Amino acid sequence: MALEERLDGAPAIRVEGLSKRYGRVDALVHLDLEVPPGEVLGYLGPNGAGKTTTIRLLLGFLRPSAGRAMIFGTDCTEQPVKAHSHTAFVPGEANLWPSFTGEESLELLGNLHGQFDRAYKDQLIERFGLDPSKKVRDYSRGNRQKVLIIAALMTKARLLLLDEPSSGLDPLVEKEFQSAIREARQRGQTIFLSSHSLSEVEALSDRVAILRDGRLAEVGALSQMRHLSAITLEVEFAAAAPDVSAVPGVSNATADGHWLRCQVQGPVEPLLQALAGTGVLRILSREPSLEELFLAYYGTGHDQTSVAPVAS
Amino acid sequence: MPRPSIATSEVTEPSSKSLVVVYTAKRTAKIAVLWGYVFGMLVASSALSYSRIYKTKQEREHLAQIFGSNHASAALFGPAPQLQTVAGFTIFKSSMTIMVIGAIWGLLAVTRMLRGDEDAGRWELLLSGRLTRQAATAQVLGGTGLAVGIVWAITALISGVVGQVGSTDISPGGALFLATALVASSAMFAAIGALTSQLAANRQQAVRSAALLLGASYGARMVADAGDGLHWLVWVSPLGWVEQLRPLTSPQAWVLLPIGAFTVAVSLMAVLLAGRRDLGEGLLGEPAKGRARLYLLSGPTRLTARLTGASSVWWGVAVAICGLVMGIIAKSAGETMYGSSVQQVFTRLGSPGTGARAFLGIAFLLIAILVAFQAATVMTAAREEEASGRLDQVLVRAVARGHWVLGRIVIGTLSVLATCCLAGVCTWAGSFAQGSRIGIVPMLAAGVNTLPAALFVLGVGTLALGSQPRQTSLAVYAVIGWSALIDLAGGLFSEDHWVLDTSIFHHLASAPATSPHWQTDAVMAGLGIAAMVLGAQALRRRDLVTN
Repeated sequence: MALEERLDGAPAIRVEGLSKRYGRVDALVHLDLEVPPGEVLGYLGPNGAGKTTTIRLLLGFLRPSAGRAMIFGTDCTEQPVKAHSHTAFVPGEANLWPSFTGEESLELLGNLHGQFDRAYKDQLIERFGLDPSKKVRDYSRGNRQKVLIIAALMTKARLLLLDEPSSGLDPLVEKEFQSAIREARQRGQTIFLSSHSLSEVEALSDRVAILRDGRLAEVGALSQMRHLSAITLEVEFAAAAPDVSAVPGVSNATADGHWLRCQVQGPVEPLLQALAGTGVLRILSREPSLEELFLAYYGTGHDQTSVAPVAS
Repeated sequence: MPRPSIATSEVTEPSSKSLVVVYTAKRTAKIAVLWGYVFGMLVASSALSYSRIYKTKQEREHLAQIFGSNHASAALFGPAPQLQTVAGFTIFKSSMTIMVIGAIWGLLAVTRMLRGDEDAGRWELLLSGRLTRQAATAQVLGGTGLAVGIVWAITALISGVVGQVGSTDISPGGALFLATALVASSAMFAAIGALTSQLAANRQQAVRSAALLLGASYGARMVADAGDGLHWLVWVSPLGWVEQLRPLTSPQAWVLLPIGAFTVAVSLMAVLLAGRRDLGEGLLGEPAKGRARLYLLSGPTRLTARLTGASSVWWGVAVAICGLVMGIIAKSAGETMYGSSVQQVFTRLGSPGTGARAFLGIAFLLIAILVAFQAATVMTAAREEEASGRLDQVLVRAVARGHWVLGRIVIGTLSVLATCCLAGVCTWAGSFAQGSRIGIVPMLAAGVNTLPAALFVLGVGTLALGSQPRQTSLAVYAVIGWSALIDLAGGLFSEDHWVLDTSIFHHLASAPATSPHWQTDAVMAGLGIAAMVLGAQALRRRDLVTN
């Protein structure tokens, strides 16, 4: 059977009961997940949730305490080399050989992978504005990250494992990165995007999996997770803050003197109408952090009964 | 929400005046305690064993007569005055070994705290506060000074206690001055390490430069102590200055002045230069840009060859110079041994034979130690690849762990073998230039004879890398340190073969004084290779561990 045929029959990623325990600490608990070929899966979670542990298990760098992980039907622990032949990886921390230039680093990483598209590499260097003649030790953190992103993309591997890939990138380069990821998806590449940035995942992903305390809290399309699209509002009043807890869409409202803080799901208009004539001095709006969202929707403790059922 | 104002009086900050001093002292204290204990015990064992080995006055006078003017032993261990006393014997037996080990520790400790932490990015955090680079560098030196003080105190304490036992006759004042002399090289080379940390582009370069100065210092002292009319050379070598302190025998406290002045001046220079360069750069650093050199980038083994090539060349050059110096002084050193009972002592040290051959038998023991250190750096570099996360970038690209570590072992073995051969050839060249009649074949065999110990170290390193990766460095340096101490303590445990057998160097034949024991070599190499296989298997079945 031809390799391509065998690959086409298997999911890009299949994880069954995957667990990782360090002493008494559970880094990952019984993870079940499947990513079909061609999909972009956003893998969300706050710091320490187990995202990097999952990726290192997929890469065969860590041995699972229980369960197994497969890439295109190949067991990542038993046959890591075969699994890696379809995989490219961008870590969150850009650790490269400091004495090499960017060009030398890309040549090395491409050769180690086995094959890469040189023309596409040159194009990516141009798009990301990387000076390949500089030595790695003289690159900024963002430029080191660019080298790793280019190295992964130029292989056109069937699966891209990205662990906080845009950390250290400026907004313009981040936009270019998102554009390159969309192109990869159009080519049929599968992308596993680990991030703690809700907006980045929202911009790129077909589905989202949410990890909390090493456990899968939710997985599904973002459109199905309307409760995650809340914004946080902070409002200052000339007098004491009014009670808005009964306003539709408003939750977690807390008043402190002249200040009101709340989260709003869906349209903001009902809240704005309720605030009319109450002496609003200013309104601050921002995307809630993942920690705030998890605090709001899943509680603070480790009691898993408060976690919404997993939709696969 | 109302933003709470932060009253500055509420903010408590740790004092930046001593923060790094304390941090440095804490990080180096454990190993300082260990070295203090080892140095003290080495002094104690030398002093206590003297009266056990040389019981009568005649035996002691005979010993003094043999070594008093012997060029061979002077080249290797320094001059040997007053060997008819416990004090003289103790200094002859232990001081040079301790001084060299102390110097290596000093330069490694400082370069790790200064350049190692800077390369790892920890200094960016440190310097983002009120601390200036000069202050931080000065504090690291201060902290290292405290660690040297710990070594000094423990060495002095043990020496002082031993001085009160039986007939060892080391006064409390003598013990204090002895400890001062023994740690002086640590202080001087810590300062040198601080200076090279400012000049070099990274820690590896800093260590290499400081180690080269140490090698040159040892070589100059050797020539000064062994060569006729060249004694003035002792004053161009920091190790020579320490030697001139002459503790216990005929103390020269005034020599502490140039030693102290040198240490302070070099330290000040390092502190001044720390503020005159960019963070992460060296004053003699490499250019930021360069034309891409795309050779040896097509696989993990070739990558290893490229990454370790410069280091291998440096080791080769250092060992070649060492061999050349040994070869040059071999003939004159050996001439003092003909017909004398010194041969019996050299035989006890493991090098039977006559003249230059017996001298070179011991000289190749030093080369074996250097080659073992080279093997150790191969494995610590492998661990560094993993700890830094760079190995992730290799293993994620369809490269098996076994393939990677095998490449490291093969390249390491080849580079060590090249160094062994170079040592043989250069020692031969040096001795040939002085009219020695030892042929190139036995000299080459003597060089290759040092390989099994290096293979054993590679094996121990691979096993540690596979099973206890964070302990890789400790494992390889512990094997070398222990073996070197046992062997260079020479004859202390001559009746306790089980102790001598724990030294990897003890199993090497003293070629060219004797023919290499190829069967023994094969067993040691075989044990090393078995450890490599076990280590590679263990590596396949464990988690990768990054810092």
